[in-house]
Amino acid sequence: MDNTLIRMESLCRFYEMGDQTVKALDNIDLSFNRNEYVAIMGPSGSGKSTLMNIIGCLDTPSSGTYELNGQSVSGMDDDELARIRNREIGFVFQTFNLLPRLDCLRNVELPLIYAGIDAEERFDRALDALERVGLGDRVNHKPSELSGGQIQRVAIARALINNPSLILADEPTGNLDTSTSRDIMTIFSELSEAGNTIILITHEEDIAQYTRRFIRLRDGKIESDTHAPILE
Amino acid sequence: MKLRETVIQAAYSLRANKLRSWLTTMGVAVGVFSIIAVMTALQAVDRSVASGLSSLGSNTFEIQKYPATFFGGHGRSRFINRPDITYEEGLAFKNLMGKKVDRIGLKVSRSGNQAIYANRSTNPDITLFGADENFASANGFDIENGRNLVKNDIRFSRNVAIIGRDVLNTLFPGGENPVEKQIKVNGKLYRIIGVFMNKGAAFGQSQDNLIVIPITRYLAHIDIKKSISVTVEAASQKEYQATIDQAIGAMRIARGLTIKDPSNFELRTNEALVESFREFQRTISVGAFIISFMALVTAGVGIMNIMLVSVTERTKEIGVRKSVGAPRKSIMRQFLLEALFLSLTGGVIGIVVGASAGNIVAVAFNLPPILPLAWIIISIAVCSGIGIIFGLFPAYRAANLNPVDALRTGK
Ligand SMILES: Nc1ncnc2c1ncn2[C@@H]1O[C@H](COP(=O)(O)OP(=O)(O)OP(=O)(O)O)[C@@H](O)[C@H]1O
Ligand SMILES: [Mg+2]
Repeated sequence: MDNTLIRMESLCRFYEMGDQTVKALDNIDLSFNRNEYVAIMGPSGSGKSTLMNIIGCLDTPSSGTYELNGQSVSGMDDDELARIRNREIGFVFQTFNLLPRLDCLRNVELPLIYAGIDAEERFDRALDALERVGLGDRVNHKPSELSGGQIQRVAIARALINNPSLILADEPTGNLDTSTSRDIMTIFSELSEAGNTIILITHEEDIAQYTRRFIRLRDGKIESDTHAPILE
Repeated sequence: MKLRETVIQAAYSLRANKLRSWLTTMGVAVGVFSIIAVMTALQAVDRSVASGLSSLGSNTFEIQKYPATFFGGHGRSRFINRPDITYEEGLAFKNLMGKKVDRIGLKVSRSGNQAIYANRSTNPDITLFGADENFASANGFDIENGRNLVKNDIRFSRNVAIIGRDVLNTLFPGGENPVEKQIKVNGKLYRIIGVFMNKGAAFGQSQDNLIVIPITRYLAHIDIKKSISVTVEAASQKEYQATIDQAIGAMRIARGLTIKDPSNFELRTNEALVESFREFQRTISVGAFIISFMALVTAGVGIMNIMLVSVTERTKEIGVRKSVGAPRKSIMRQFLLEALFLSLTGGVIGIVVGASAGNIVAVAFNLPPILPLAWIIISIAVCSGIGIIFGLFPAYRAANLNPVDALRTGK
């Protein structure tokens, strides 16, 4: 099987703002293999989030090709994109984005609900995912009853629950203090070691250092794309 | 997403906004309440009206100055300038009808009379009739004790009275024989000659709260200028229509009308009475419909408004759901279901309270309570329609939010 998970060719994302065009992504060529652990960096406004939204199928490119698992995403409608997100992608956001009225378990099982999985299996798998991020004892807490680091771990559990092809994290430690950030990054590293493909956005060098590949964006273009030296 | 899950999700979000949900629901409840309450009451009263109005007896009709109206009715004033039907005209009519008719009764009445015997008195709610010897048979009364009025009572306008069972019970509670006793009605003395047998209630109103005195005495001593009513009983159902035709002719002659004059009196038949009730029923129904319609439209707009607010407030939630793979139709379904839930809850409350209120009327009229099943089904259907129609736009809006934008919103 082809080891390429994502392939982008001359991918652009433009925003029309009145009479001027913002080139949020400008002619991007990029591909990712399975089990890569990547950091996307760059100054504010360089297009990191825009890129992540396209990779995560929340948004579609203005032009160019984007293939996920060998499947072209460009021509898909909203519901097809939703199905891809549901099966292939796990999101972790800077602002967590849990539903405040639901407890951890219900938050984590949400993707499975849309996957049509029955309640019993959902419960088992959600519990499992929460245990993997070390929150097996907090399943019935609401997000408001948890610390920032714990909330982000719930979000990671939610991202994991579908066994997605790809975990996407947009500044997952942006709202966390240094030591909590370290805990979260440890979890990502473990997930990577377990075989998950992870792409995370950050503007902090020391967070990026957890990953194996660094992509720097500037003004919607790739400035550099380097791999970490292979350690023995 | 399965329907069960959607229901759970909808219930969750409604619970999170309890007060708002309840207030929205109330609008629907009011709309459903008014139609259900009125329809329950009308339906409960309906059967007893049909039978109650038939108290005339099936071969009987009445001739009066005013047309049959129900609960006062309208347009009575149009007939106020008609000359009264006098006792003399009644007698002339009787003569003209000759032998063909079994019985013709002449009567007048007024309500709100009080009777006194010894130290006991009734409430001032007795109906006092001035009538002739045909009153009892024409109105379906039997004499239980004593005797009926006879021709001589009328001719000599004797101060005699027949009392109804209610009057008997109040004035002679000890089982004392009332016959030959003197009672005072509105300050005038009468000698009791008989008692009517118990007839029971119609529309929750007793039919036994009456006193009958000779019509001649009534016109001489109580109310000289009173239009009388003439009760005519045909010999058989076969002769009913012919009798009516003959009666109209006879009354026109008795009233001195020429061929060119329109009739200045009205015929009250059972059918006319029932028809007038139906008309009253229609008027009330139309009123209830209009009120319900307006209330329900207002409630629907309220639901739409609340759902739009809800979509705005929960933009982030919608974004999150979409990001984890919620397809449009499941978001749509979630919001539609919430709207449906609001309107149906309102509908059920309206049905329960409305049916209860309607049945209070039934109970007040001594009628068996009923469940207006057809109206309940219609109400539920209408409420579902309202929930769906007014929920559609907000739900559509929610379903088509762009996930990137939705996730970026505050909150
Ligand atoms: N919906 C939009 N409409 C118009 N312009 C947009 C929109 N979204 C992003 N942009 C523009 O696209 C460019 C890239 O934005 P993006 O959010 O990808 O930057 P970023 O690298 O994630 O920045 P940050 O580090 O601040 O999050 C910016 O110039 C931004 O103003
Ligand atoms: Mg960003």
